[in-house]
Amino acid sequence: MVSPNPQSESSGHRFQRRGFSFERAIRFFFASNAGLTIFILLLIIVFLLREGLGFFPGYRRELEVYRIAGLEFVDISRKNLSAHEQVTSLLNRAYQAEINGKCCNELRRSQEASALYSTFSDQVGPTRDLILNNPAATTGGDAGMLAVLRTNYEAQRAKALTNLPPAPHLSVAERQELIDSLRNRPAEATEEPPIVAKLNAEFAAARQSHAEPLQKFRETIDNFESAGMDLGSIVMEMTESVTATKEALQTADILEKDRKTLLAAAANAKDPIEREKLIADAKAALAEKPDVEGPMATLMEKKPDCVKVHEQLVTSVGEIFPNLPGSLTQANASRYLKAATAAWPVLISDLKATPAKISSWTHTEPVPLSAAFISFLTGRSWVTGGEWQDFYGIIPLAVGSLMIAIVALTIAIPVGIGAAIYVNQFAAPREQALVKPVIEFIQAIPSVVLGFLGIMVFGTILREISTFDSLSWVPGFPIDERLNIFTAGCLLALMSVPTIFSLAEDALNNVPSAYAEASEALGASRLQTAFRVMVPAAFSGILAAVLLGLGRVIGETMVVLLVAGNRIKIPDFSEGIGAFFQPSHTLTGIIAQELGEVPLGSVHYRALFVIGITLFVVVLGINATAHHFLTRKKK
Amino acid sequence: MNATPNSMQESPEKSASTPHAGGKCAVQIQNLSFNYGSSEALKNITLDLERNGVTAFIGPSGCGKSTLLRCINRMNDEIVGARVTKGKIIVEDIDIHDPSVDVVKLRRDVGMVFQKSNPFPRSIFENVAFGLRMRGIRNKAVIEQSVEESLRAAALWDEVKDRLNESALGLSGGQQQRLCIARTIAVKPLVVLMDEPCSALDPIATAKVEELIWSLKKDYTFVVVTHNMHQASRVSDKTAFFYMGEMIEFGETTKMFTNPSVKRTEDYISGRFG
Repeated sequence: MVSPNPQSESSGHRFQRRGFSFERAIRFFFASNAGLTIFILLLIIVFLLREGLGFFPGYRRELEVYRIAGLEFVDISRKNLSAHEQVTSLLNRAYQAEINGKCCNELRRSQEASALYSTFSDQVGPTRDLILNNPAATTGGDAGMLAVLRTNYEAQRAKALTNLPPAPHLSVAERQELIDSLRNRPAEATEEPPIVAKLNAEFAAARQSHAEPLQKFRETIDNFESAGMDLGSIVMEMTESVTATKEALQTADILEKDRKTLLAAAANAKDPIEREKLIADAKAALAEKPDVEGPMATLMEKKPDCVKVHEQLVTSVGEIFPNLPGSLTQANASRYLKAATAAWPVLISDLKATPAKISSWTHTEPVPLSAAFISFLTGRSWVTGGEWQDFYGIIPLAVGSLMIAIVALTIAIPVGIGAAIYVNQFAAPREQALVKPVIEFIQAIPSVVLGFLGIMVFGTILREISTFDSLSWVPGFPIDERLNIFTAGCLLALMSVPTIFSLAEDALNNVPSAYAEASEALGASRLQTAFRVMVPAAFSGILAAVLLGLGRVIGETMVVLLVAGNRIKIPDFSEGIGAFFQPSHTLTGIIAQELGEVPLGSVHYRALFVIGITLFVVVLGINATAHHFLTRKKK
Repeated sequence: MNATPNSMQESPEKSASTPHAGGKCAVQIQNLSFNYGSSEALKNITLDLERNGVTAFIGPSGCGKSTLLRCINRMNDEIVGARVTKGKIIVEDIDIHDPSVDVVKLRRDVGMVFQKSNPFPRSIFENVAFGLRMRGIRNKAVIEQSVEESLRAAALWDEVKDRLNESALGLSGGQQQRLCIARTIAVKPLVVLMDEPCSALDPIATAKVEELIWSLKKDYTFVVVTHNMHQASRVSDKTAFFYMGEMIEFGETTKMFTNPSVKRTEDYISGRFG
């Protein structure tokens, strides 16, 4: 080795690096940390895809069974039946709403009196039961004990009377009368106090009198309802036979799967005796093919009957339509009626199209893989673990997530951006020092705590407010469900305000101060400078803030799981804006709720993974768009 | 504002055509002292700026010339701790620090061009029209005419007339600075304050801006802060020399550069310090 430096023999030139220095070790440590996070992200993606993609073949098979067993055929009629039932229920709701609306005063009075009475009963209940259940009461045994219990009851009775709910629709005299009748109420009394009975009777009489002019409407509804009876019975008949076929097919599928597992184990087994045994087991598991054709032939024989029933229904439904009243007096009643009349032509055209569908249906048509994709992406129902057929349609969940996001952003965008503009452009330094940390602190609140607050405080208050008479004009009021889309949206707004606020404030802060100076030197006021110069210059940053807020809203799980009400159904848009006050389920909530309970590797389990992938893609898309706006701004 | 004896002009057209009150002087600075926190930045300055004249402020860095310039349209208001401790500035017969003065209206009459050109990130047309729009002028024809006049006055019209709707950020540095001047004069102010307008420009662009100042002098009163002695001698009628917050000398530019009456002025002009 020819070294330029003869002193150092082993290690080359003195400039050359020797050994593994401490600095390099540290650098390697940090590099490996960064690498690890990327690796984990890749693992997550791979895992999601591996678990999720198996969903489509599995779901395809389920849909195939659905067809071969004839469930699909029955569903053609079932769908019409449920559409018919829906219209019936709308008509009934219109009818009830009309009557109740007309005698709403009587209804309230009777409800309030009953509420007073039942509050009283609840409070005295335990002490009263002690007396009634005491054998001494009937046999006249231990009189002393009974006397003690009676005193007890009387004390509780007096106490309960001081503790009654308000009754704004009862006159003072009526309330007093009720209280008086309760004051001396013996423990053994079972009948309602006379005033309660009187108010109930008044309500019943009012109903009766308001129902009379609606007699024709009632008859129309009844006619409509009974027109669907034939369809109902034929559907019920067919249902039984197809369910049996389906079960047989499913059992065969399970056995087939078992057999394959055993054969695979046999192929891997080293011990020849073991192998023989496994193969024998596999042979035993070999199921005989269930008979599909026989039941199917019976089912197909029903085709003409089915067609006939539908044709009859079309005629009678068409005949009934002109008998419906044109309008009703109560606002919500006419809304239901309007929804029913709007559903009418759809129902008729569906019914008319049905015979053709029934005759052309055949169980031999193959189910392609794309059918599973389409059914997942456009399916309007998410039904799992049901007796009839499982459907994995993403629409109800996506609609729920979307509506909650709309509510959340409608509130959070003006609040977050408004606060950012104020703090950045108008607030005094001391205000800034107060407002910024406080808003950012909201982010630190654990979402489960917010959800708790949402259920116990916000949901309850909102529902109580919605019962005020003066607010009955608001669509959807009074709210039936304490947990609904609106409540969840409000809480998510609270959670996304800090995100939107901080990022929008940053964006405004990043606008060069020269713009503000130039604008002010040209004689623009603070307000003009803020809205004509600063906000437009920060626009892409503000847009990115909104998108990241949206990402947060879509991805949030805990709050929606606790507060959104978790009803898997597309909200009823016939209520208009009121649809926002209905409960709903979400993409995130369904995973959290169902993943713990599904059998590992089942189609349902994989469906949840596909939802996870969908969420992943959506949030990734939102964040990528936000990133695009942020980097475009920097240019 | 109604209490003001002569309120700031509302319409740009009017302000240019009506004869101004206040005689020969556009701006009178009387015994002005100014502090940043506890440090005194200006000490007892008295100075009259002539109408339709160009006054140059020269002096070494930190001498207070920019501070004085920014006092005239109260751009120092936004700086925390900055305040006038003594004296007053009179524009159009009113003390601009009077509580009844609306600073927004003051700045409409006292425009400003900054050291670094700062067009808004929007079209050339919209940059010039900005001040007019802020004043609530909506008439399209009026705005278009005013934009063209201003760009012509700023000798920029021929260069940009075919791309008025393109972003102002696509212009060269010199063009951007002339656009800023056009933007300022579009609202027809009485006084135009310029804070080292050419320090970021090359000699050719600088010459164009100087020509511009010279040609616009008949309509406006200019105050130019500059580090460049030659520029001061080329563009200004009068020059004020500042040193350590004090005004050392103020007089005709020709006299100042040929025969200064104070030794320190002479030292500075001849480059012995600064």
